[in-house]
Amino acid sequence: MVIFTLPVDAQVSPGDLAKPHAHLEGMSNCTKCHNIGGQVRNQECLTCHTEITKLQNEKRGYHNSNEAAKKNCFDCHSDHHGRNFRIINFNEKNFDHYKTGFVLTGKHSKINCADCHKSEFIRDDKTKKRVGTFMGLRSICIDCHQDEHQSTLGNKCESCHSSENFKPASKFNHDRAKYVLSGSHLKVECIKCHPVEMKNGKKYQKFKDLSFSNCNSCHKDIHKGRFGNQCENCHVTDSFHSIKNLEKFDHGKTTYPLIGKHVSVKCIDCHKGGLNVKPKYEKCVSCHLDYHNGEFIKNDSQTDCSVCHDVSGFNFTSFSIERHSKTKFNLTGSHLAIPCITCHKKNTKWEFRLDGNACVNCHQNFHGNSITLKNYKGNNCEACHTSEKWNAVTFEHKLTGFELLGVHKKQDCSKCHSNKNENTNKIISFTAKSDCIICHKDVHAGQFIKNGIADCQRCHHFDNWKPDRFDHIKTSFQLEGAHLKQPCYKCHKTIVDEKGNYIKYKLGEVKCAVCHS
Amino acid sequence: MSKTLHRIFIFFLILIGAATFFFFAIYGYSYYLTSSEERFFHELHKFLKPSGSIGHGLGIIGSLMMILGVSSYMIRKRVRRFVRLGFLKYWLEIHIFLCSVGPILVLYHTTFKFGGIVAVSFWSMIAVVISGVIGRFIYIQIPRSIQGQEYSLDELKSLNQDYTNRLKAEFGLDDVLITKLEHFNKIEIHKKTNFFSISGLILKDHYINKNLIGEIKKELISRKIKSGNIKKIVKLCNSKLILSRRIILLHSVHTIFRYWHIIHLPFAIIMLIIMLVHVGVTVIFGYKWIF
Repeated sequence: MVIFTLPVDAQVSPGDLAKPHAHLEGMSNCTKCHNIGGQVRNQECLTCHTEITKLQNEKRGYHNSNEAAKKNCFDCHSDHHGRNFRIINFNEKNFDHYKTGFVLTGKHSKINCADCHKSEFIRDDKTKKRVGTFMGLRSICIDCHQDEHQSTLGNKCESCHSSENFKPASKFNHDRAKYVLSGSHLKVECIKCHPVEMKNGKKYQKFKDLSFSNCNSCHKDIHKGRFGNQCENCHVTDSFHSIKNLEKFDHGKTTYPLIGKHVSVKCIDCHKGGLNVKPKYEKCVSCHLDYHNGEFIKNDSQTDCSVCHDVSGFNFTSFSIERHSKTKFNLTGSHLAIPCITCHKKNTKWEFRLDGNACVNCHQNFHGNSITLKNYKGNNCEACHTSEKWNAVTFEHKLTGFELLGVHKKQDCSKCHSNKNENTNKIISFTAKSDCIICHKDVHAGQFIKNGIADCQRCHHFDNWKPDRFDHIKTSFQLEGAHLKQPCYKCHKTIVDEKGNYIKYKLGEVKCAVCHS
Repeated sequence: MSKTLHRIFIFFLILIGAATFFFFAIYGYSYYLTSSEERFFHELHKFLKPSGSIGHGLGIIGSLMMILGVSSYMIRKRVRRFVRLGFLKYWLEIHIFLCSVGPILVLYHTTFKFGGIVAVSFWSMIAVVISGVIGRFIYIQIPRSIQGQEYSLDELKSLNQDYTNRLKAEFGLDDVLITKLEHFNKIEIHKKTNFFSISGLILKDHYINKNLIGEIKKELISRKIKSGNIKKIVKLCNSKLILSRRIILLHSVHTIFRYWHIIHLPFAIIMLIIMLVHVGVTVIFGYKWIF
């Protein structure tokens, strides 16, 4: 009787349905799970459990595993065992998550089931309401993890990230990106190209929609657009210093077009720090050695080479005579005609800063110490010479105390001032002595030398050698009478002795018998 | 069938019943003691569950045994054509065996879960079994011939007198002792049809008889009668005392036995009907065991 007092629904049922199925209690619901003649078929289960159907159709989840797919639903999920029966008898500790198709690796293998299997991570509203369910999670990382990329990179996080650590994205291969890294790009930190930006009020690192159509998207165009946007025409990714297609490079587009000798110079000769290193070129010495060793530094400022040279070569100079005239040493006379090298390359090296303007800096002082004139102090050649001609001496000989008179005026200086030394070299010498025999041969064999001085002018003058000034009266033997009519050689015979061949004028004691026999 | 062979036969029937009971009790001990919520996860569930390969078989076999036991006994008992087919006593023993072991198997088939309409069948079965046990007790209170035919009161009295004569003639019991054995003669024929009253009376009589036998045994020993004869005398005394009691209770037992049929049979029918419903539902839902 007690049995019959039970609800009619319970009379056929072999036991209470578990809580999840409690709403199916009642005879009218039997066939919702039980098939007439077919026990409990999967299709009845799946009619309600569409989430399983969906998983199986999508071939994912544990119910698609080899273990589960071969079984009938009721092999694992029975019922009629009471309200508290666990339809899902799930052993969290022993469950092999591999069977779900989502292998737990890395950090996933160390966390608790509930860390992932919680309603906030379940997308399906129906499944979300199930308490303690392990269903409903997709194997999409962003279902559980925050999408740091803010939906810009899709949802296949696993293609870049491993379960060990989100950072770094160890599985990321930039080769799969639209922009393949090469050269130095491989060594650059990601953030250099992928900046952190703000999106939806949150920081995120931009990995997509970056412009890389040309290098200027990331790199500063130090050429300021002069060479266009096709940097790769000249540059390679290994280094900006590595330049390709040099032969095609148009240096004319730079701020320093190459002309003259520069055209044939190797790039590296100027771009010593690398082809992308912009050399200083404000002054030539920026590249070129100062051949002149600072000769043209004025007020600590280097005079640029272009003042004298141009790119046609250093051997040529635009330094003209006119400009030389503006220097402290105005070129005049013969200096206009002589090549620069004569004065400025006395040795192996050109020198333009000469020590003063003294002639002896260039010219040999033939005179040595032989000139003792007062106005010749300091080897001032200009006292006698001009630049017109070396021989055109404007010297006033009388300043020496020996005024040139007569034939002396017509004589070349060297007639008197030239001599030969022991080596038979011609030397020009000037002495303070003005005795005639210094220059002229004493044909009288020293007969008139008195106190070492011949003093020819006692008899001779400068017009010729005629002894016009000789007056026999002034001798110790005055000519008188027939003596006046007699030629000189009658008395003054030519003598040949050890002193040479000469006419003897000094006859000593004058005795008639000496001449007259 | 000789008495010994019959005993062996009975022994085997009891042995089979006991073995069946204990085998499944031991085999399914842990499963049956597991709560219903946890049984599904038990390793024997797939075998011992009501629809399992063993459990389902137990239900089917147990049911068939009961059907066979009931039907065969009823046919033998009620269909005239089969009246002479074996002793009714043996059929009853087979009936008892099948309708004892069958419920045991069904009990294990239920896995001790009793709910729903099928529980009506189960409890009806239990009622039938219990009533069967009671019926058996009542049944044996009515003396029968070896073929199962009831003795009349006169026949019983005559039989009782035979016991008296044998005690006197064979073993030389005097009237003093015989008088002690005739104590029921002082009691009038029991009129009450209350089962519990009769049971109480039987128990009381059993106690009295036990004391009486004890006294007789002492007396026989004091008279230095051989121990072998004492046993025979005591056995005859016992038979006489029991027969005397049954004679006294014959009317009442007959009355109760009629009532008993009223209980025993309807429960059996209820059990059978609901069982058929149960079987029908399971077959409809596709649970066909090995078929």
